Amino acid sequence: SFLFGSRSSKTFKPKKNIPEGSHQYELLKHAEATLGSGNLRMAVMLPEGEDLNEWVAVNTVDFFNQINMLYGTITDFCTEESCPVMSAGPKYEYHWADGTNIKKPIKCSAPKYIDYLMTWVQDQLDDETLFPSKIGVPFPKNFMSVAKTILKRLFRVYAHIYHQHFDPVIQLQEEAHLNTSFKHFIFFVQEFNLIDRRELAPLQELIEKLTSKDR
Amino acid sequence: AMTAGATTTFPMSNHTRERVTVAKLTLENFYSNLILQHEERETRQKKLEVAMEEEGLADEEKKLRRSQHARKETEFLRLKRTRLGLDDFESLKVIGRGAFGEVRLVQKKDTGHIYAMKILRKADMLEKEQVAHIRAERDILVEADGAWVVKMFYSFQDKRNLYLIMEFLPGGDMMTLLMKKDTLTEEETQFYISETVLAIDAIHQLGFIHRDVKPDNLLLDAKGHVKLSDFGLCTGLKKAHRTEFYRNLTHNPPSDFSFQNMNSKRKAETWKKNRRQLAYSTVGTPDYIAPEVFMQTGYNKLCDWWSLGVIMYEMLIGFPPFCSETPQETYRKVMSWKETLAFPPEVPVSEKAKDLILRFCTDSENRIGNGGVEEIKGHPFFEGVDWGHIRERPAAIPIEIRSIDDTSNFDDFPESDILQPVPNTTEPDYKSKDWVFLNYTYKRFEGLTQRGSIPTYMKAGKL
Repeated sequence: SFLFGSRSSKTFKPKKNIPEGSHQYELLKHAEATLGSGNLRMAVMLPEGEDLNEWVAVNTVDFFNQINMLYGTITDFCTEESCPVMSAGPKYEYHWADGTNIKKPIKCSAPKYIDYLMTWVQDQLDDETLFPSKIGVPFPKNFMSVAKTILKRLFRVYAHIYHQHFDPVIQLQEEAHLNTSFKHFIFFVQEFNLIDRRELAPLQELIEKLTSKDR
Repeated sequence: AMTAGATTTFPMSNHTRERVTVAKLTLENFYSNLILQHEERETRQKKLEVAMEEEGLADEEKKLRRSQHARKETEFLRLKRTRLGLDDFESLKVIGRGAFGEVRLVQKKDTGHIYAMKILRKADMLEKEQVAHIRAERDILVEADGAWVVKMFYSFQDKRNLYLIMEFLPGGDMMTLLMKKDTLTEEETQFYISETVLAIDAIHQLGFIHRDVKPDNLLLDAKGHVKLSDFGLCTGLKKAHRTEFYRNLTHNPPSDFSFQNMNSKRKAETWKKNRRQLAYSTVGTPDYIAPEVFMQTGYNKLCDWWSLGVIMYEMLIGFPPFCSETPQETYRKVMSWKETLAFPPEVPVSEKAKDLILRFCTDSENRIGNGGVEEIKGHPFFEGVDWGHIRERPAAIPIEIRSIDDTSNFDDFPESDILQPVPNTTEPDYKSKDWVFLNYTYKRFEGLTQRGSIPTYMKAGKL
């Protein structure tokens, strides 16, 4: 918290003066690989006449499902032993707090952290008052702020996979899938300004690389 | 290990391998559809604008229509987010049964809409070939939009079954119609064959070959018009399509020659009596399959026209040209069609009709349709057919329907236990072999958002 004084980043622990190491280079080298998915920039834009909440809701559900699946492919490699703390490279560490049940951030292993995180997201998505599924029921006033928190937290799973488990991703030949999903995610949050820039810092270079090629 | 590059290999469980397959397939599917959906949405918007322009609406009216349309799109997004399950439907009646499952008439509880629910038992379908065909069916259903193909609205699954929620066509199917009637008149035949020509051509234009055109797959809508269905499902591609199945021919000589010697009336009776059983057997019947489909040399879309020739023969004569006691014998007859394809002299058939059948049921190089669908449409048998408007005109045999859920055009089937809940298992979601069916959730815009009548701009694609 010495780096960013904001209250919201209590669970986000950047460390000073730690070299990035060469794994960043590995990520960038493979950033080229994406699924031939057409113009994602266009696909994230709010369609004419659409309700922003509805658009954010449906996309959030999609991203949750994708991350759930992608993380599911590397759970063999993300263990208490391999990842005793939830991190995104040596510079960034995350502690878990959900603000209601766990108020004081706890330091825990990555698999545990991600389990907390995904369970929490699932609970939000299943909450009829937050994500109404019946036709005509409006979104709550705080919907956008809840969605932002969900997306901020989901980003951390991408960051952890990229930083700590990219080798198995290559071995499983799913780097194009991961990159495409992440690129889509980033385009989406950029389009509607949903995640604070500093939260994205752990993957900043990758983001620049992925988003510079086709705007 | 992080910086070691791709040289380190990690031990991997089968569990992981399966998850990887699922994830990749799902994401590939997702992203190939994403852009498509984006474009489709833009197309719908454009269609609305064009329609409003044509109607010459005032600005105020246009604004209203635009907001109505936007609301519909918003509802669609919301529906994409909601998961459907068996609980959302009320099962009303079994209306069909096949080798891999059954078809039920169901009502969606919240909207009251009526659908046909195709229930497929996963256990019966996991055979590789079937899986491939389900995917094919999904693909065609997703792509084909229009009057000639049965629409699919939703699909979902549970541990035991795969569920396809499709348009309910109250007219029943051609197989049932042919079983009820001795033969069709030439006029009726002209109507059904013309419509089926257009239906087959529609899927050919999408780049598909049906491969299994048969009366069971020709459904009739509420007005008696034809729709093509079943791309390899319930009654779909069975052993009958596989050449190996007929390898042991010499061991299976026709058990009884009596069928050969029957007159056509008795032959038709015997055929019709056994017809339903044939449709529901897992083996299927090779009666309608083109000879080249069995051969290693390959086939193309022309094989569907052969099948149509066989159906046309059956409509006019009362039984298909190669029908026999056993599938093996039928297969033999199909393969030696040059000797076996004949018209019983006691059944009167016009020369035009005979000629068209013989032009359908011939070598693929000489088959009608090789020069395009116009070649077929130009055949003298179709004289007087209004190809552009046939679907809007009255059907040859009008369908009598009393209500939206009238099943009088379907046979009765006893209840089954296919929907009985599976004993509570706490198996993980990634059950072995389950992956093929994942992401099998598909929702269609039109049927979901429709309240009351369909707006004109959405009907625009129909013929």
